[in-house]
Amino acid sequence: MLSSSTFGRRAALRAANCRQCLSQPANRRGLAAPASGSFQYESSEAAGVKIASRDFAGPTTTLALVAKAGTRFQTYPGVTEGLEKYAFRTTERRSALRIVREAELLGAELSSYHTRENLILGAKFLRQDLPYFLELFAEIVGSTKYEPHVYDEEIKPLIQMAHKRHIDNTTELAINSAHSLAFHRGLGVPLRPSSATPYTKYVDANSIAEFASAAYSKSNFALVANGTNHGNMAKWAGQFFSSAKNSSAKALESPPSKYQGGEERIAHNSGNTMVLAFPGSSSFTGGSYKPEIQVLASLLGGQSSVKWSSGFSLLANAAAPFPSVKVATKSAIYSDAGLLYVTLEGSAKDVAGAAQETVKTIKAIAGGDIKKDDISKAIAQAKFKELEYGQQLWAGLELTGSGLVQSGKVYQIDETAKKLEAVTEEQVKKVSSVHISPMSKNDANRVMNVGCSDPP
Amino acid sequence: MSAPHFANFVVKRPWLRAWMQPLANWYANASGYRQIGLRADDLIPEESDIVQQALKRLPPKEAYDRVFRMRRAFQCSLSHQLLPKAEQTTAEQDVPYLSPIIEAIEAEQKERADMDAIVVARPKAQH
Repeated sequence: MLSSSTFGRRAALRAANCRQCLSQPANRRGLAAPASGSFQYESSEAAGVKIASRDFAGPTTTLALVAKAGTRFQTYPGVTEGLEKYAFRTTERRSALRIVREAELLGAELSSYHTRENLILGAKFLRQDLPYFLELFAEIVGSTKYEPHVYDEEIKPLIQMAHKRHIDNTTELAINSAHSLAFHRGLGVPLRPSSATPYTKYVDANSIAEFASAAYSKSNFALVANGTNHGNMAKWAGQFFSSAKNSSAKALESPPSKYQGGEERIAHNSGNTMVLAFPGSSSFTGGSYKPEIQVLASLLGGQSSVKWSSGFSLLANAAAPFPSVKVATKSAIYSDAGLLYVTLEGSAKDVAGAAQETVKTIKAIAGGDIKKDDISKAIAQAKFKELEYGQQLWAGLELTGSGLVQSGKVYQIDETAKKLEAVTEEQVKKVSSVHISPMSKNDANRVMNVGCSDPP
Repeated sequence: MSAPHFANFVVKRPWLRAWMQPLANWYANASGYRQIGLRADDLIPEESDIVQQALKRLPPKEAYDRVFRMRRAFQCSLSHQLLPKAEQTTAEQDVPYLSPIIEAIEAEQKERADMDAIVVARPKAQH
């Protein structure tokens, strides 16, 4: 089987690629060389497809296809979940089994997942295999067979499993509920099916195929790679993606996000989670980027960065008397809006107690009672987290791809780190008084409570 | 499972086909299943995992029609009757609807078996 045309072609591509490697050695930069330059993405367009890459020194490459087809843009409930599970299935040229076995033989890793805004197909592989994987992605985009029996036998059970995991996990359920209260539609659509209705009524092979033709049209996705030469990437992407669909009849659209207010309590028998959410910052590539919010998130904090200690962040201190409670603050960023949320989970009593303390702390901060020391600590931590995130290979792939598709801008980690550095005390105070004041008139606070008997 | 046949061999040779086709038509009509409203694919034995899988992959309408044909044929057989001429299966209606699915499943299984017995030969070093 292996001597068939696919492998012969791949060997030829690899040979061609290696000749290029010889003329331009890939590892010019040693590991000890300053890394800041390599954080920058180069972007361009090849055959109408937006591509971005950065030449990270190292023997492996991470490639991602980021399609603007997350749950925010889905045409029917659950269809994004279905399309995600159809990735790397049988195409017109090879079977799903063959794709997996070939990837195994090349020592690669394939993955697919979705977020609220994006659907991401990913592959990690050795540097010289780039053409093979670009070809594979082009094949998935252009010629996946959306066969009904594949949906019935393989996709549907996976969607059911995602549904079950989703409704069993109180934290996930609470965060989804906070999003739906905050944004109602668009970003508020649950990340995974929260009832059986999507896959019993809406999702089938036909609706997924229809969604795919819009999701995988040239204007709707971007290719982002870490650890590859940009010229190489442009060349092979141009060659393989030239036959991809230009644009679909029906582009995927979602109305601009508008922040709403609300409160929801959900009874649940498997845990206690409480989410307090506030309007946040958009992504760096979006319109309302506010680095202060990220600083504010690390100021509130909650999670410890050292072992065997609850840490010194404000919320960690506030929740210290309640040992069973886990507190975390996250600033979720999307293309045109964001959500800053605090998650508390633990036993019902402790969550209720910690929630009271948390709200007290937040009110104090909103009132301007922040120590200078704490702010400088928070800025340093936010900057560290951002840069550390940037060092990981998967980092920024999604944000970059999403930025390219939605606004033509690339998510540059260096620049966000610089912006974080420039945040001042006044900015943090101002943003906290506007965004997280539970007293503010426009109903900026949200109390989300799952299975907690005595909320504040 | 799909029955062994040499139909492909015959179909590829027009002269042979021209000679065999009337014989085949006569044989299919003489076997009697068309007179009780069945199609040739209805006669494939169901008692195998592959055919069971193929039956699950049938579109709902096809699956319903298949059961209908079988129940009607069963009644005919019990009552020792043939269907009225208008309701009997014609040669045009007697199309394979199940065997393509069975063949696809067999091909999948063969591919899996082949892949499991794979011998990896590294391409010679190119540098």
